[in-house]
Amino acid sequence: MLQSVATPASLAEIHAVLARPGSARIIAGGTAVMPTLNAGTDDFTSLVSLRAAGLAGISVKDGVATIGAATTLADLADEPALGFLVPALETIASPTIRNMATVGGNLFVKQPYGDLAACLIALGATATVSDGTTTRIEPVEKLVASRLGSGGIVTQVSFPLPAEGSFKFVKAGRKALNAAAIVTVAAVVTVADGVVSQCRIGLGGLAECAVRARSVEEALTGNPLDREHAEQAAAKAERDIEPLDDSHASAWYRARVTPVHIRRALVGE
Amino acid sequence: MKHSVVALTVNGAERQMLVAPGTTLLDALRESQGLTGTRRGCDQGACGACTVLVDGRTMMSCLLPVETIDGATIETIEGLTPMEGLHPIQEAFLEGFATQCGFCTSGMIMATAGLLAKNPDPSRDDAVRAISGNICRCTGYEAIIDAVLDAAARMRAARRAKAA
Repeated sequence: MLQSVATPASLAEIHAVLARPGSARIIAGGTAVMPTLNAGTDDFTSLVSLRAAGLAGISVKDGVATIGAATTLADLADEPALGFLVPALETIASPTIRNMATVGGNLFVKQPYGDLAACLIALGATATVSDGTTTRIEPVEKLVASRLGSGGIVTQVSFPLPAEGSFKFVKAGRKALNAAAIVTVAAVVTVADGVVSQCRIGLGGLAECAVRARSVEEALTGNPLDREHAEQAAAKAERDIEPLDDSHASAWYRARVTPVHIRRALVGE
Repeated sequence: MKHSVVALTVNGAERQMLVAPGTTLLDALRESQGLTGTRRGCDQGACGACTVLVDGRTMMSCLLPVETIDGATIETIEGLTPMEGLHPIQEAFLEGFATQCGFCTSGMIMATAGLLAKNPDPSRDDAVRAISGNICRCTGYEAIIDAVLDAAARMRAARRAKAA
């Protein structure tokens, strides 16, 4: 039963509140935490809001984007220097939810939500995690896999800006808008001298958390970025995923269509 | 369980309210302020019936613990409605038969208000996207989308008339 809601004004204050006895849950936009409270299935006695702690904001300099954990998805979409993310962000929930949901929160929502995490994995993003006395840097890929098992609070995420046209995104859902992922594919692909020199692919909706498609990346690297090679590489994705059944799609269906959506993300057909 | 006092500007008036921990903005509006135009739908952020403007942006009031937005400015369907007559968005919904049972209507209208504040001349696709978080189980949406575009046209015409 919820006993208190705190809205600390700084990171230090957040840690001080979290150190108090009882089970605290961090709340940012509220879009994932509040449904449990409203349904009475909550298992925490206090909420600690990040809303007033100064953790929102975006800076882009020297080719690196740094985004505060409490930045909303709507504010992220409004950042001109990160326009390449807009098509991906617009597939996440509705404008109203994007006015609330945060970048940090998106790392912790349950699949098949959290498509931004797939994008951040593709972008090679790292997260800054504060435990109250020290800060450390963790790759987003590891952080989502462990659900921040090492503890602390994500204060910001950071990634190098991808070269123009190198970020690719495809999402399949049951509706055109405001749909959870059946399959989400995000990729950053660099082509040099006619072949893929570097690529990172993040997948959503296909495991307990957003995952990296390393087998596909390996198969693609060194080959031309054409339909034939994209198809061959995408076929390796089964090694990277452990799809689940849910109300949106069966695990079988997800596994069946994953290579098609990877190919479409990579070569647009 | 310690109650706290929260101050909000609701439809232009400063209000203070004593709330239990975790009280949502939806509950504060309906139960404490008697503003029942904002509907309780799913309580999960999935239906949009409780949409209000918080500091000018559409939000689901069922997902906001009111203690975390102390000092915010809230606009609800009651605040949108003028002292006499109807707001152009309301007129467009009424005249375009964009309401049937009416349960989703205040959320749809506030989502429209949020869209038109940002984009006075939306395309049909913009309108569809703006209401994509709002569920209507009666209309099939087409009449609502038409009403959003009609409301935009009415508001542009009113602004032109005012400027002339």
